[in-house]
Amino acid sequence: MLDTVRQFETPEGVFLRLRAAGALPRAQAWSIDLAIRAAVFWGSMIPLAFLGAGGMGIGALVMFVLTWFYPVVCEVYFHGQTLGKRAMGLRVVNADGTPITWMPSVVRNLLRAVDMLPGVYGVGLVSTLIDPYARRLGDIIAGTMVIHTSELPSGSQVPVLAAHRPPLDLATDEQAVIVDFAERCAQLTPQRQQELSNLLDPLTGQTGEAGTRQLVAYANWLIGRP
Amino acid sequence: MKQEHFMALYGKEWDTLQAWLDRVELRNREAMRSPQALEFPAAYRRLCHHLALARARGYSREITDRLQNIVQQGHRLLYRPPAPRWHRVAMFLVADFPRLVRAQWRCVGLAAVLLYVPLLLCLVLVQWKPELAHSVFGSTQLAEFEKMYDPANPSIGRSSGTDLAMFGHYVMNNISIAFRTFASGLLLGVGAIYVMTMNGIIIGSLAGHLTGMGFGHPFWRFVVGHSSFELTAIVIAGGAGLRLGLTLLAPGRQRRGPAMVAAGWIGAQLALGAFAMLLVAAFIEAFWSSIAGLPDLVKFGSGGLLWLFVLTWLCRGGAEPRQLEPPWDELGRNDGA
Repeated sequence: MLDTVRQFETPEGVFLRLRAAGALPRAQAWSIDLAIRAAVFWGSMIPLAFLGAGGMGIGALVMFVLTWFYPVVCEVYFHGQTLGKRAMGLRVVNADGTPITWMPSVVRNLLRAVDMLPGVYGVGLVSTLIDPYARRLGDIIAGTMVIHTSELPSGSQVPVLAAHRPPLDLATDEQAVIVDFAERCAQLTPQRQQELSNLLDPLTGQTGEAGTRQLVAYANWLIGRP
Repeated sequence: MKQEHFMALYGKEWDTLQAWLDRVELRNREAMRSPQALEFPAAYRRLCHHLALARARGYSREITDRLQNIVQQGHRLLYRPPAPRWHRVAMFLVADFPRLVRAQWRCVGLAAVLLYVPLLLCLVLVQWKPELAHSVFGSTQLAEFEKMYDPANPSIGRSSGTDLAMFGHYVMNNISIAFRTFASGLLLGVGAIYVMTMNGIIIGSLAGHLTGMGFGHPFWRFVVGHSSFELTAIVIAGGAGLRLGLTLLAPGRQRRGPAMVAAGWIGAQLALGAFAMLLVAAFIEAFWSSIAGLPDLVKFGSGGLLWLFVLTWLCRGGAEPRQLEPPWDELGRNDGA
């Protein structure tokens, strides 16, 4: 399926679902981080300015730490989230879905220097567009990926209707198709909704708008609504 | 088993685990001290078992999604990184880093050649044809350097600024260059090669120019202290960059992806070691090298000792004690006879 969800089997034998985050939310998170770092730098420079030339030296140290180590320390200590990533609901994880550790974080943040290269993140942008999991070069080499923290919508966006039990026992993927249809039908035109639900005419026994409503009612039953 | 029955049996257990996990995310320390923390791995494994059962039995998404969410939350906690230990940092600096440098001697050696050959070449060439210095530096730059290393300057090696200001400046400047050298190795090694060669040319021409015009004494007095740490660290960072670039070109008997991950891991460790060395170099450069009043013996003696220390550390640090020759086995002796 054309999807950005990456599945990993854990040692316990179940699958983790990681939803890769694209370039846009990551760029927003980076901008928030940049603003925070700039604010911290200016905030620290005000008292340091009274110390004269020595203060400038400390200012350079602050700048150095903010540039190179702010992302690493944040990612390792705050569950893979810098402040910007937290604001945007993103998280860095190792490729196997485990929380990020020191060395991968160092690798991905040092290699940022290459991803940033022509102007503002030119290499990184191209890399995120090509890679199936939207990783920039630093992520590929560190073996990490940036994911959305919010879980997949699990039926909460299905329109509320009186639940109706499907006439057959459906397999898991068949259930998933019906629930996904119900979740997304608000984004589709009525004509498209009916075109899709007409395909399930043998199951619902109805066509047109009634068929759509019947599928949504099945979805309500499948996600456990009364 | 019917889905309703399954939920009725285990629903309470899932709720307790979920509540505890939520508490861990808010108040980590307190929640980890509770008796539930000891039972967490077992409870988590049970939950995974329940999720697998629910999927295999085709239960509805109401139940599988709920279990999936708890599993993802639990997985993050169970596999979280261990707390860093300072002992590891010390071990890295004393033993692991020198070992890694020795293991990567080809790349580090290549980086050293790329730095030192242009350096020595320029040093000699500028002595021979002093006007060559003007094709490397602009005339304002040269005037600035001459002012910095003028024997009459009370704090040699800098035009202005206090010790602390210069320390901050050296840290920001030199370590950023080292990190970028490593990262730019990803561009097929071109970035690392460029940085090494350019630095060799600049340092060599400057040294040659100042020596040629008779400012050699203050210049060498200034650089002898920190050059051991600084030049060696830049060479190691260049080696880390070359490691990345060469692996991208020729991954060897591995697929390119895993080979690059391994090279990135090695390179980042080398870069971190170079970071520690440059921190020391910046400290020496700011607080020791600039002191003008010390006799030559102290300056050059300490500089020589530091070079000896750096080379010994990198060559012998973390080395296994030399073992005796292993005894020959029967087969080998008979074969020889």
